[in-house]
Amino acid sequence: MAESTAPQFKRAVVALSGGRTDRPIVALAAEVAKASKAELIGVHVVEIDWTQPLDADVAGRSESAQRVLDIAEATAEAARYRLESVLLQARDVGAALVDEAVERGADMMIVGLPFRRRFGGDFAIGATIPYILKNAPCAVWVVREAMPEEQA
Amino acid sequence: MFVLVVGGGKVGYYLTKELIQSGHEVVLMEKDRARADQIRDEIGSVVMHQDGCEGKYLRQAGANRADIVAAVTGDDEDNLVICQMAKHHFDVPRTIARVNNPKNERLFRHLGVDEIISPTRMILGSIEQDIPVNELLHLAALGVGELEIIEAHIQEGSPGIGRMASTLTMPIGSSLFGLIREGVPMRVGPDTVLAEGDKVIAIGHPDCEADLRRQLIGEHVEA
Repeated sequence: MAESTAPQFKRAVVALSGGRTDRPIVALAAEVAKASKAELIGVHVVEIDWTQPLDADVAGRSESAQRVLDIAEATAEAARYRLESVLLQARDVGAALVDEAVERGADMMIVGLPFRRRFGGDFAIGATIPYILKNAPCAVWVVREAMPEEQA
Repeated sequence: MFVLVVGGGKVGYYLTKELIQSGHEVVLMEKDRARADQIRDEIGSVVMHQDGCEGKYLRQAGANRADIVAAVTGDDEDNLVICQMAKHHFDVPRTIARVNNPKNERLFRHLGVDEIISPTRMILGSIEQDIPVNELLHLAALGVGELEIIEAHIQEGSPGIGRMASTLTMPIGSSLFGLIREGVPMRVGPDTVLAEGDKVIAIGHPDCEADLRRQLIGEHVEA
């Protein structure tokens, strides 16, 4: 019998950016997690700039942040799977996600990557994913959305 | 306490590390990208790759709520600009500047920098303790550095030898207040006669240094 090629994990942190990749990665994570009954933790990080103290009440009052978590939970529910949602505020999204993965003992981090180009045409990966790839001790699964047809 | 450190050289780097270890909230601004990335890799996301001489970046770094801004770049002009902006645009309660050229110290003080750290002056002072580089030693700075305690070593040929203290034309803003003769400290009174080997302790404004030297040591020993 052929071995499954799907990623195996027991506990995964799903990075929720609040963008268009959230639904697909939660749905995908839920499908993959079912096989091993893995735990899914959806984490959305609200970045606090240095003009405010880190403990300023920003994330808790943010409706959009709450909506990100609601959508993720609903997407997981639609896939008949449970996702625990966590809202954090931090100075740096990448560092907060890595810290959360370490703290939770996650063996997988799932991150969505929208297909974007910088002015000039180069593909833009941003700063968060390279940080995670460089610093996360667990496995990292980067799911890039499909290239728009006109750019393919 | 929230400390904004500008300049990611050796001083800024170690200062930031120490402050973090002491539990303070710190942001380090470094304008060189490679250096900023290098420090960020080591100490984390407290490093901003921005030029602290620009007000908008100081604001982004949180100067509006900083308790202290420490400008420790290798460039005196930058350090002055950073402290000036921190003080006057962001009302930072305490500004600290590194001054590389001791000649700039007065300007920094005049322009309201709260605290000035001059590594050059400190090293020079330390060297002078052991080697009489110019026979006029800077022993200490007083207050915010507007006055200095200076030791003048009276040596052979000094115009001060054999003269009573009251006959010396002391520059305005300076005063003799003690001397050490054969290891014994003494008060300097109007009748005290200076002798070869005396170490005269004076207090005065840094500007008085040249006149003090002329009076006590003479012109010929200028280093």
